[in-house]
Amino acid sequence: MSAPALAEVAAPATAVRSPGLDPRTKALLVIAASAAVMGPGGLRFVPAALALAVGLALWERAWARAASLTAAAAAMWAVGWLLPEWWANPVTAVASLACAYLIRFTAAAGVGMHLIATTTPTALGFALRAWNTPRPVAVTLAVMLRFFPVVAAEAAAVLDAMRLRGLAGVGGFLRHPLLSVERFTVPLIAASLRASEDLSAAAVLRGFGSPRTPTALHPPRFGPADAVLVLGTAALAAAALLLPQPLT
Amino acid sequence: MSDRPVAAPPENTSAEPSTAAAPRRTRFSARDLLNVALFAVLYFVIVFAIAMLGIVSPLVMLLTLPLSVIAAGIPYMLFLTRVRHAGMAALFGLVIGLLFLVTGHPWISTLVTVAAALAAEAALRLGRYRSRWAAIWAHALFSLWFIGPMVPLLLDRAAYLDSPGMRAMGPEYVEAFDRTVSVTVLWAYSGSTLVCGLLGGLLGAFLLKKHFTKAGLA
Repeated sequence: MSAPALAEVAAPATAVRSPGLDPRTKALLVIAASAAVMGPGGLRFVPAALALAVGLALWERAWARAASLTAAAAAMWAVGWLLPEWWANPVTAVASLACAYLIRFTAAAGVGMHLIATTTPTALGFALRAWNTPRPVAVTLAVMLRFFPVVAAEAAAVLDAMRLRGLAGVGGFLRHPLLSVERFTVPLIAASLRASEDLSAAAVLRGFGSPRTPTALHPPRFGPADAVLVLGTAALAAAALLLPQPLT
Repeated sequence: MSDRPVAAPPENTSAEPSTAAAPRRTRFSARDLLNVALFAVLYFVIVFAIAMLGIVSPLVMLLTLPLSVIAAGIPYMLFLTRVRHAGMAALFGLVIGLLFLVTGHPWISTLVTVAAALAAEAALRLGRYRSRWAAIWAHALFSLWFIGPMVPLLLDRAAYLDSPGMRAMGPEYVEAFDRTVSVTVLWAYSGSTLVCGLLGGLLGAFLLKKHFTKAGLA
């Protein structure tokens, strides 16, 4: 039995493959964005990385992500670049230095958010397997992607419960920081462990941890969308190198 | 966990009994990998939830940053109760480091995290993966990953000191700032991270006894 044949038969029923980017392309983009933006002289690449991150969000029709990235970058530019021009003092100087760092962080995180938001655990697992990533690393990363929404939902529930009891305020947190930490983390861990039990049992039943290599329904393949993205990224990188820098 | 073997040999697995005879020997059982994944996510969410509280003001950040190092001790110490063989703490560090990379951290931060995880693994090995104090020290050493995000500020120091706010203050101020926020500050930061990590390990050990052991989770 050949896996591609099976995938072709099954594809029409399950074909909701969004723009068709290979997870490996997305992972390489994250590494490239981090290396370019966080390396020495990385400020030059920040507008290009931000444009890439916002472009990816728009491509995915993730309007909220596109808007929040733009707003965050604009706020950092305002505090880091505009504010010191009007009002130079030690506080704005330190804030400007912090924003020069955080704007790089935002640009790199924007590209990473696309990977997290658009990759399913299975797709990530198979993409890492295609790179011959050691099994423990590939499997753990894929499972983490599955656990993220579970833990985030539990964290939100714990915060809601704390709010109901009037324990979630900043004042209480500042007065009793360690107690607040205990009240947040202990129920979060206990609830997440309980929720993960079912997921773990289901995963083990489905062959998770088996030494056999599973067959992918949609094996990772580089396609036209990846080529377009690589060309677009190359154009942005060239523009960052050749055009005058807006952030200096 | 009640189904975890008390003194399992490295290849023993509770979830996959057939692997012992399989030609490809796996060091990590399915349960090990699930534990690493779950605790890595918990660790990340707890550290970020607390560190992000500080984003409202730099003054609050002075409190939340050390507090997030301390709070990290709770999931980490509980995770270490499930570590019975080599490699799990290192794998934990590696996947956390890769997660940091995706969430915008500098790539050098990932390398620092892996190095800190290897140091934690060495501490655990010295305690033969059974010692409580070795686990507390392992958390202190792993907490040193907090230095990672600060490294670019040193490597690309000239560019950061050339930010518009600094330029607006004039060269004398920049020079004084450069002298004050020196490598010594980084050493002090590393030292305080280690101390907070130690406190976090102690808090984690205390809460294990207070809550998780009673509930049958540790």
